[in-house]
Amino acid sequence: MEHAACPVNATLVELAAAVEAGRLTLPRSRRLAEEILDLLRDVAQGRAGTDHLAALDALAEELRQSDDSPGCQAAAALAGALLADHREVLASHIRTGNCAAGECLRLAPAPCQMACPAGIDIPTYITLIGEGRDDEAIAVIRRDNPFPWVCGLVCTRPCEFMCVRGRIDQPVSIKFLKAFAAEKALSDRRYVNPPQAADKGQRVCIVGAGPGGMTAAYYLALKGYGVTVLEALPMAGGMMMVGIPRYRLPREVIDREVAMLEALGVRFRFNTRLGRDVSLEQLRAEGFDAFLFAIGAHKSFKLNIPGEDDYPQVIEAIDFLRRVALGERHMPGRRVVVIGGGNVAIDAARTSLRLGSEEVTIAYRRTRHEMPADEEEVEQAEEEGVHFAFLTVPVAVQGAAGRVTGLRCLRAEMVERPGSSRKSPVPIEGSDFDLEVDSVIPAIGQRIDIDCLSGGCDLTWTRRNTIEVNLSTMETSEPGIFAVGDAVTGPATVVEAIGGGKRAAEAIDRHLLGIPQPKLPPVPVRRGRCAQIEVPASTKMILKKPEMPLLNLERRRTTFQQVELGYSENSVREEARRCLRCDICLRCGRCVEICRDKMQIDALQLGYFDFDHPVTTDFRRTEERCILCGACAANCPTGAMRIEDRNGERILSICGTVLNRQRLETCQSCGAVIGPGRYLEYVCQRTDPHLPSPLGRKLCDACARRAKAAPSVDTMPV
Amino acid sequence: MNFRRGQKVEIYQRSADEMWAPYMDRFVGCHGIIVDPDTAINDPDALVEVSIDGHGTHRLPQDCLRLLDA
Repeated sequence: MEHAACPVNATLVELAAAVEAGRLTLPRSRRLAEEILDLLRDVAQGRAGTDHLAALDALAEELRQSDDSPGCQAAAALAGALLADHREVLASHIRTGNCAAGECLRLAPAPCQMACPAGIDIPTYITLIGEGRDDEAIAVIRRDNPFPWVCGLVCTRPCEFMCVRGRIDQPVSIKFLKAFAAEKALSDRRYVNPPQAADKGQRVCIVGAGPGGMTAAYYLALKGYGVTVLEALPMAGGMMMVGIPRYRLPREVIDREVAMLEALGVRFRFNTRLGRDVSLEQLRAEGFDAFLFAIGAHKSFKLNIPGEDDYPQVIEAIDFLRRVALGERHMPGRRVVVIGGGNVAIDAARTSLRLGSEEVTIAYRRTRHEMPADEEEVEQAEEEGVHFAFLTVPVAVQGAAGRVTGLRCLRAEMVERPGSSRKSPVPIEGSDFDLEVDSVIPAIGQRIDIDCLSGGCDLTWTRRNTIEVNLSTMETSEPGIFAVGDAVTGPATVVEAIGGGKRAAEAIDRHLLGIPQPKLPPVPVRRGRCAQIEVPASTKMILKKPEMPLLNLERRRTTFQQVELGYSENSVREEARRCLRCDICLRCGRCVEICRDKMQIDALQLGYFDFDHPVTTDFRRTEERCILCGACAANCPTGAMRIEDRNGERILSICGTVLNRQRLETCQSCGAVIGPGRYLEYVCQRTDPHLPSPLGRKLCDACARRAKAAPSVDTMPV
Repeated sequence: MNFRRGQKVEIYQRSADEMWAPYMDRFVGCHGIIVDPDTAINDPDALVEVSIDGHGTHRLPQDCLRLLDA
């Protein structure tokens, strides 16, 4: 199996071993090697500056010339190889504070950041939100995602699935914190674009103003390119605008974030469809230097059942949602059946209710358990009065006089297919029944409209009818043409499109600068290094994820007002304090092992360390058992576990969570700090349980020695 | 085969699918969580989005995945 090792870490380990083994015999060469090690540790720990590389070059050369012994030459060759062969990795460590292989422990991104398709530095912005620095949090988010408000409302939140806090109770509500910060920063007029690079004099054409296209537009505009976005619809937003109903994502949210792009000079040409209103040849003639296709997947799959094409009341869900989003707010029918089990089906059903449909049923061929839609969306739909018909397979649309009158269905059962342990729905013969409806909305998936790309370019397509790209660069088979979003992945998520857009912008920049493209997709980059927020262990355990307040049911059934009303400011600040700061603690478990196996105290009940088998965690247990010896902190490779003496107390904390604090005792003779009482007892028990302190007093080592030695000294003959 | 959000999976083999890129070889043996399944038609051929422990989030063919908590 290929293993992505970090050359910085590997060199560090090898060079340290060489020094330790005494292979560098001359003091001068040993000193030079140690200096190189110091600088490499700076790099590995995210502390290196821009002059580190030059200093390393000079030291490596000096080491090479210092001594001809094989040991010294081997060490110099090691350092030289790192500088020559892996210079880009070194520079990347210094520039981004990120170790792609995750081996330089202090630089590894947290699981939530790794999980985010856009690679947002989540622990940093959550900490900033916890401190009330919302505008700074938004600036951090926009380094990787130009649509924090949109994602705060509609992201599928892979980060929360990987959130380590979820192994204790519930994941941190990352998505809603982001929405709060965006709204607050905008409201405070502190939501601003970062500085833009000077004009590069080159122009990029982006086809499609969805999340992928606009993300690329944002980062290219920041890099100094002239960006023009073509959009077939009369407004920007793509699927965010016409595929997600307004009660989940208000139009104003998209408009405000699009306005930020316009402020950077991105130009939009609306109502302009590639292949219909303009051809690729015409665009090439306009002088664009690169193209990005982000055309989305706006065509629906068909049910392929009789009657589907015979009645105007059979409306494809994605068309229905688009028409409603563009202002056609007509009730699709009094009794509506939506076919499908995904989020689009739920959206179509809830939209029908809001338009006045009296009875809305979602027909799904599997069970509730298999529904791919978000659980919260399903629950909210049920609350609003949407009915569900599970294990229901549509077989024909029925109608009379040009109008739909019903949907013929079959009952299904879940059956294990031969050779598979998983069950599939199989229609039951003779179980036909009719749903009496006057409108049918199929929502069984989307595909891309390949017609608009049929002329002028010779793209390679996958067997799934998506554009084939190099996933590291999003470059298509045609040089200078890139593609992102649903057109590449098939119907996917907003945040995936954003991640793709960012990757494409980077690749287009390299393409236009003539720099070689990367071989691997980018790894997330740490954008800051925030101090830990101090929280008592009991608070950390007691704080619970807040409930999202919802609009009242009557309004949800009648209007398109936003359903999720957002957290209060107090809830947001408290929720941010639940974060475990996994960007600092890597859950290596060394602290637990030392405490349990070496010190035999077992004070750390940190059951969230294991991904596959988490067990109970209770930060409060530490206080009951911990002696504050500091062995855990001394062995922590990242500084997550800290022990410090402050204000007359010794305090042990992990990533800011205060696990234990005890009053420090002082020497009754000289007044020096001698540690907390529990620690002193532990030491006394193990060193000399039968020997009490001289005269029953608490003394430091020096005073105790002096006190014990005094009688001997006094009586010793001189 | 269909996966649901939140299920733990193992990438237990390479996929022969055209969407399997060489860099994905290093995911074999890793565990992850399904974060975006095939959202519409439970198509065994659809790509599903998996957050892989320590390796980020990727869209993978289903034939390389197996459930850990089935």
